[in-house]
Amino acid sequence: MIEINETYKEKTSFNKRLIFLYVVFGILGIVFYYQIFNLQISNYSEYEIAAKNNKNEEISVQPLRGIIYDRNGEILVNNIPSFDLITKPIFIDDSNDFLLKLSSFLEIDEDEKKVFLSQFEKAKALNKELTLMQSISDEDRAKFLVRSHMFENAYVGKRYLRNYLYPEIFSHSIGYIGRPNEDELDNMYELKGLNQKINFTYTNQLIVGKTGLEFTYEDILTGEFGKNLREVDARGRTLGEEISIESKAGNNLYTSLDLQSHQAAHKALNNRKGAVVAIDIKDGSIVTLFSSPTFSTNQLVNGILQKDLDKLLFSQEKPFFNRALKGRYPPASSIKPAIAMFGIDQGLIDWNFSIFDEGFFTLPEDGRIYRDWKEGGHGDTNLFKAITQSSNTYFFDLAYRSDINQLNKHLLSIGFGDKTCIDCFEEDKVFVPEPSWKMNKHNFGWFKGDTVNMGVGQGYLVSTPIQLAKYAYIIANKGNFYDLSLKKDLVKNEKKIEFNKFSNDDWFKLHESMVNVIEGNTGTARSLREKKDYIVAAKTGTAELVSGDNREQYSETRLDDSLRDHALIIAFGPMPNPRYAVSVVVENGESGGSVAGPVAISVLNSLIQE
Amino acid sequence: MRYLDFKRFSIYYDPYLIIFITLLSIIGLFFLYSASDGNSSVLIKQSIFVFFGLILMIVLSQPDPQIYYSYSGILLLISIILVFIAIFFGPEINGAKRWISFGFVSLQPSELCKIFLPVFIASYLYGAKLPINLKNTFLTIFLIFIVFFIVSSQPDLGTGIVILLSGLYVLFLAGLSWTFIGTALAIFIISLPFLWNNFLEPFQRQRIATLFNPDLDPFGSAWNITQSKIAIGSGGILGKGFGEGTQSHLNFLPETETDFIFAVIAEEFGLVGLTILMGLYFFIFIRCFYLSINARDRFCRLVIGGLSLVFISTLFINIGMVIGLLPVVGMPLPLISQGGSSLISFYIAFGIIISMASHTKLVPR
Repeated sequence: MIEINETYKEKTSFNKRLIFLYVVFGILGIVFYYQIFNLQISNYSEYEIAAKNNKNEEISVQPLRGIIYDRNGEILVNNIPSFDLITKPIFIDDSNDFLLKLSSFLEIDEDEKKVFLSQFEKAKALNKELTLMQSISDEDRAKFLVRSHMFENAYVGKRYLRNYLYPEIFSHSIGYIGRPNEDELDNMYELKGLNQKINFTYTNQLIVGKTGLEFTYEDILTGEFGKNLREVDARGRTLGEEISIESKAGNNLYTSLDLQSHQAAHKALNNRKGAVVAIDIKDGSIVTLFSSPTFSTNQLVNGILQKDLDKLLFSQEKPFFNRALKGRYPPASSIKPAIAMFGIDQGLIDWNFSIFDEGFFTLPEDGRIYRDWKEGGHGDTNLFKAITQSSNTYFFDLAYRSDINQLNKHLLSIGFGDKTCIDCFEEDKVFVPEPSWKMNKHNFGWFKGDTVNMGVGQGYLVSTPIQLAKYAYIIANKGNFYDLSLKKDLVKNEKKIEFNKFSNDDWFKLHESMVNVIEGNTGTARSLREKKDYIVAAKTGTAELVSGDNREQYSETRLDDSLRDHALIIAFGPMPNPRYAVSVVVENGESGGSVAGPVAISVLNSLIQE
Repeated sequence: MRYLDFKRFSIYYDPYLIIFITLLSIIGLFFLYSASDGNSSVLIKQSIFVFFGLILMIVLSQPDPQIYYSYSGILLLISIILVFIAIFFGPEINGAKRWISFGFVSLQPSELCKIFLPVFIASYLYGAKLPINLKNTFLTIFLIFIVFFIVSSQPDLGTGIVILLSGLYVLFLAGLSWTFIGTALAIFIISLPFLWNNFLEPFQRQRIATLFNPDLDPFGSAWNITQSKIAIGSGGILGKGFGEGTQSHLNFLPETETDFIFAVIAEEFGLVGLTILMGLYFFIFIRCFYLSINARDRFCRLVIGGLSLVFISTLFINIGMVIGLLPVVGMPLPLISQGGSSLISFYIAFGIIISMASHTKLVPR
């Protein structure tokens, strides 16, 4: 019986303990099941997304940039295909070994190798592709393709280059693209929601407009990034890729720029320092915006040797400087029609008023002498003659009698000292001098002599070629104008200059006097008469960089090229119903009539005779 | 008594266990096929193991439990010698010496220890009085720890833990005194910091630490668990379908054929699939519970109880690890994970269980 009792006791104890263990596991089982339920049901969506994020990579797809046209529909900038050798660092074990293998049949530039090696580790870590060679030749492409089976970690990809069809003549107006800087990158990643991984459409990879129209109309040209979904495995190998949002190419940009007139300006300036701006009088749109010397945007964007770039950057001629928008030149005699308008409007002169020009003007206050360019003077001079023959003495006298503050207002009203253009890149507004400006700037009071100098566009008065062009445009269009612009068919409001006494008849006479600058026998630009077969109104100017008391002194000065006078002209035609206004500045060109004049005429010819 | 009587030749069997184990094994093959990316050589090899394993199970069901009682010591000794052979002569794979290679197949003898250690302890404690005295307690524990340390030194912590548990289960079921249990637990808890600092490898500490704070190491040891959770969670109710699991087939999930096959099943068959799978396991446990309660004597009780708990523990450690509730330790999903050793050892275990369940004691006339 003892044994049976013992057995019974043992069995009960065993059963209890077994049940205890099963209950423990039962509780554990419930906990586990609850956890599984949590994972699969409660947090399903979260994990579903996590699984998708694991295998799906969102790739941004770069759009093609818009094409830029001239006003006649000629393509100025487009995109051309280019072939790049692109590597996949994640599948390259030894970068040096890889380069060695490629170098056995491809000539890889040392710079390209350096760039590749410096970015290799980062690209590998991020599983990004890395371009090794840009725009490879057809020959290199063929050499690679026959060996491509040896290179699963590299391929030849079709990409695009931003192609400037006239790389030199629109470099300042259209500008160029470049890689985004830090701020622009942040903007792209944050505002446009760009992914770190991008399928590049351009050889240059990410691009943004850096200058000119490429910059101003970035929003129009740039397009919208698309999105691809790429399925990858844990090693980052691509298993498939599909388009989720198609990239949207940028809109094309139609400009008011005129190809022929730029070619004419380029040819006529012949790489001399200077600028040409021409305006369509119908709507104030800019047809020519040319600065010289210039540079090739294609080279700059798509590959330039460092030594060539240095040559451009450090050139005395400053080819990157946009003289048309930023060059500050004394308007010199070309300002005279503006002073004349002021004199008439203020009642200081009329067309009959005349002075006797003996070759100089004496400032009554201190007896200081202001010389005319013509020794001995022009004799009896009325306004018509003063404009046609460009009498300084007449305008010294008129300016002397002018109120500087009123004159300042007048010059501001016709476009000086302010921005003229809606969509130009970094235009310099310059300033129009007046007493408080001089006090601030030079800590000196305004002299009557300062006003006298302004009367012939010298002294403190400076202006940019585009301001001169706008001023010519306002005269040509008798005081009515639109703000200047480069984009075609921009909606703008017409503006009108308010006058007191300056009448329609005065406009007629002013035009007539300016026509005589070329067409008259005594005009300062009469040498231009034969270069065209229509009538042009103009006013020349020769800006003195060094003021000399007489011509002898100047002949010493002109030995130094860079101190020679600037040649200027403003012109419009064909008269009597002008269609285009133009301004030309030739630095150190010396003669407005015979140096700047022919440039203006050849630009007008290309515009009018087309 | 369950046996088919062919006049002179009888076959002992348990219909429920055989049906459920066969079912689980076949479903396992199906899962493994997907988990191995449709690798047919893996499937064929595993099928051969399953086929011969099931036959081995039936064969091992035939001897009377008395045989196991008599030979348990020798079986355990052979197992331990084999472990030593693996340590001294076996090939080194990933820094561990766990295998004995037979050319076409390698086996892990430590898997046998988790079967024969509890069988031996059950036979040793068969006659012990209740509660088990201190001498027997200490001798048993000493033996358990010796086997544990031998196996752990291979190193193979996962199997070591199961061996430790297998011995302790039998000791506990045999009637270990509660006083002793209480004292041992207290000492264990007090010495935890000491064990942590001296007995765990840095990577093991890391695995435990990341269990409580996965952000500590998102790309190291927590990576596997994170990916495993994503696989399970993204399976949802019905799963992504056979062979459609992206986590498993795009290599985000590690060890898909072995330790993490549960996550593959979860991803492809969802909660419904898992519930059915766990249901099969549940039936096996309940059947084992029933059989051990109704075993013919103390030895059989202890063996059935002990072996079934080894099976349950393996399952729970594997699932607990895969769902992120237990630290990562190498542990297969019983009867499903790829690998002949684990599979064969469980067929042996169930062979012994069935033997103990189907042979009733000959009642003296």
